[in-house]
Amino acid sequence: MLMNLWIKFTKENYLKYISHLDLMRMFQRTFRRCNVPIKYSQGFNPQPRMTIGNPLALGIESSEEFMEIELYKKMPVDEFINTVNKELPQGIKILDAKYVDSKSSISSFIDWSYYEMQFVVNNIIDLTSLKISFQKLLEKDKLTIEKEKRKGNKITIQEKDVRPFIGNLTISEEKSEKISGNKYLITINCLLKSGDKGNLKPTDLLKVIEKYADLDIDSDTVEIKRLRIYSEIENRIEPLM
Amino acid sequence: MIDISKFDKILKKVEKPARYIGMEKNSVKKNLEQVKVKFAFAFPDVYDVGMSHLGLHILYNLLNNEEDIACERVFAPWIDMEEQMIKENIPLFTLENKEPISNFDFIGFTLQYEMSYTNIINMLHLGGIPILSKDRKDTDPLVIAGGPCAYNPEPIADIFDFFVLGEGEEIILEILNLYKEHKERGFSKCEFLKEVSQIEGVYVPQFYEVYYKEDNTIDRMIPIVEGVPEKINKRIIKNLNNSYYPQKLIIPFIEIVHDRISLEIFRGCTRGCRFCQAGMLYRPVREKDVDTLLNLAEKLVESTGYEDISLTSLSSCDYSQLQLLVAELMKRYEEKHISISLPSLRLDSFSLGILRDIEKVRKTGLTFAPEAGSQRLRDVINKGVTEEDLERAVTFAFSEGWSTIKLYFMIGLPTETQEDLLGIKKLGYKVKDMFFKMPKEERKGNLKITLSASCFVPKPFTPFQWVGQNSVEEFNEKVKLLKNEIRDNKITFNYHDPKLSYLEAVLARGDRRLCKAIIRAWEKGCKFDGWSDIFDFSKWMEAFEETGIDGDFYALRERSFEEVLPWDFIDIGITKEYLIKEYKKATNGQLTRDCRLGCNNCGINRSFLGGVC
Repeated sequence: MLMNLWIKFTKENYLKYISHLDLMRMFQRTFRRCNVPIKYSQGFNPQPRMTIGNPLALGIESSEEFMEIELYKKMPVDEFINTVNKELPQGIKILDAKYVDSKSSISSFIDWSYYEMQFVVNNIIDLTSLKISFQKLLEKDKLTIEKEKRKGNKITIQEKDVRPFIGNLTISEEKSEKISGNKYLITINCLLKSGDKGNLKPTDLLKVIEKYADLDIDSDTVEIKRLRIYSEIENRIEPLM
Repeated sequence: MIDISKFDKILKKVEKPARYIGMEKNSVKKNLEQVKVKFAFAFPDVYDVGMSHLGLHILYNLLNNEEDIACERVFAPWIDMEEQMIKENIPLFTLENKEPISNFDFIGFTLQYEMSYTNIINMLHLGGIPILSKDRKDTDPLVIAGGPCAYNPEPIADIFDFFVLGEGEEIILEILNLYKEHKERGFSKCEFLKEVSQIEGVYVPQFYEVYYKEDNTIDRMIPIVEGVPEKINKRIIKNLNNSYYPQKLIIPFIEIVHDRISLEIFRGCTRGCRFCQAGMLYRPVREKDVDTLLNLAEKLVESTGYEDISLTSLSSCDYSQLQLLVAELMKRYEEKHISISLPSLRLDSFSLGILRDIEKVRKTGLTFAPEAGSQRLRDVINKGVTEEDLERAVTFAFSEGWSTIKLYFMIGLPTETQEDLLGIKKLGYKVKDMFFKMPKEERKGNLKITLSASCFVPKPFTPFQWVGQNSVEEFNEKVKLLKNEIRDNKITFNYHDPKLSYLEAVLARGDRRLCKAIIRAWEKGCKFDGWSDIFDFSKWMEAFEETGIDGDFYALRERSFEEVLPWDFIDIGITKEYLIKEYKKATNGQLTRDCRLGCNNCGINRSFLGGVC
């Protein structure tokens, strides 16, 4: 019996401001309104069986998020998508869903995320030179950033090499432009490791390029959107669905 | 609409940005160009608190059900958001259309607690609206208020154009319909106020003049405009079964204080606790019947998807059909994993039996409110609870597997002695002994007892409205005594800030002269006074000093029965003679029975038709 449903959905516009837990609660209530036959956990405090693979940080949009829910009774996929979409708030929309036959959770299939990031940089000569500094950056064996580690009340700062977590980094020239002088609006795309086997936050990538490409990024202007999520299978990356 | 690009920019800089985005399921966004009346429902606290208020959901839906009325919400922006709004020059706006509140016809504040008064001023200011009624022109919004604190509106009388006394569902449409007529024929604020003052339950402060005696008490308050009523009667709904109740609630994205379906099962309370303002204000008791409630529950579950239904009222265990209602709700919703909860519990076995049914598996903490430490003092306040009740309840709770018990008390109640005070400790230790007297194998969990003390604040329209509050020093002494006495690793003692309670007492029983002090406190930076980490007592004291206000006069002074009280012009249906009688009985330690057992002649059944008396 295929009772595990994988769901692909968006989290866009202002809905980027609701947290992972808010999103879970929102889906739980939406599913109840739609009479989705969701299964509950056993025990003292039964919870609906649902997981969001690789939750997003607050403030990041996404055109492709994944969730897995377990049902006790099969509901046709089309019916599921149509009913639930009618109840979802503007900004969250189910794009696709499928029943899967897998014992491992959806999180274990997530290896890479592809992001688009937009921000204003105050110290760029021109786009070509920026491109070159990105190439040089990717040629390095090691790219370290400082990471805070908390242990109880103690905070220690550690150097962490994140080069293995960066799959790709490019400038999207059609979405980048000069504002004035050395001030540019820059749009980049990057493929970053995501999930249980290694994870790099997009904001940490910004730290990397600030450091190694010597960029003065205006942090108030940063917009981040996750475009795709990928699985890595035998050194190839493939969409989840 | 406000500048959205600026709005987008500042959202990145504040905590919990979802407080300001609106867009929640069941919120209503109308085209503001196409309605005749724009009403901003204003809650003078942050979103997470305001959204938990049932009255908001009732009035919001009631008004939006009208085709030509739009009701939108506005909350106090948290301090970080306010800072950003000022920096970017964004005026205070409503969540639905992001429309500046200055473009609304009405701004209706709900007054839930006195400590939100500075937030009201702050919100008007952020909205670019003159703070005082007299400074607002025909083109400015009408600023109005209702809710429990409106029963002594005097300290904020200069701010509001009018107050609405009583249950808003009845009266709000009458007011807005009248406004519509006035708008169509050319609006004049003065003309409108004159006419609206004729609606029962409406109080227009500028139509009255207050004269004071040499000793600073009130000499008299008289209407200065012809035809306005001398007494303002509160408005109530006679039959709750036919009254409006929303079939949907806005479901917030972020977690709020009460994040569940509120199913209001009745209004009013028959217990007659003498310190309790709500118990007097909301009389008579009016129940909804089980069928009405089951119907509502079904619609609310369908429209919200909430996982919890809370049966709300002032004393839910007093609902006459509680067992039947709970059983029916459980039968219908257990399978859907929707739980039922009771917000207030009484210390009787009946209540606990029901609690056992609804909390089958999860044993969250149990909270009881004996309110006073000794039987003598509990009789003074007419809290009809005995030590045996508590013992029975606690024994039952322990045997059912609860191990976290919270007991609520008040300190500074009238006639309180050191012995009464130490009774709080005694009760705590007694509960602990009861736990450890059980055979070891029967004890479940890890015992944790919390004794929580708040400082008594005398409120208008209660039998204690004449009482002088304990001074901050007296409260501190009492707290110190208890802190020193209660030393046990199983028992935690905590208490409310006496300074906050002192200020609450000043504002609760203040008169019109206080308004300038409240405004001065706001000018000095006071806001969110109910938030202990933000509350700044010294600024308030400076504000009193600079405006010539003696706080002690309002908080600490024992009034005579003959004194004209600032709220005497309001008739809540209960006679002053009854309150005096109750106060006298209190000082003699005499109990008054529950109204359900026989009428105590408070006057409510002569003032209004219907209800249980």
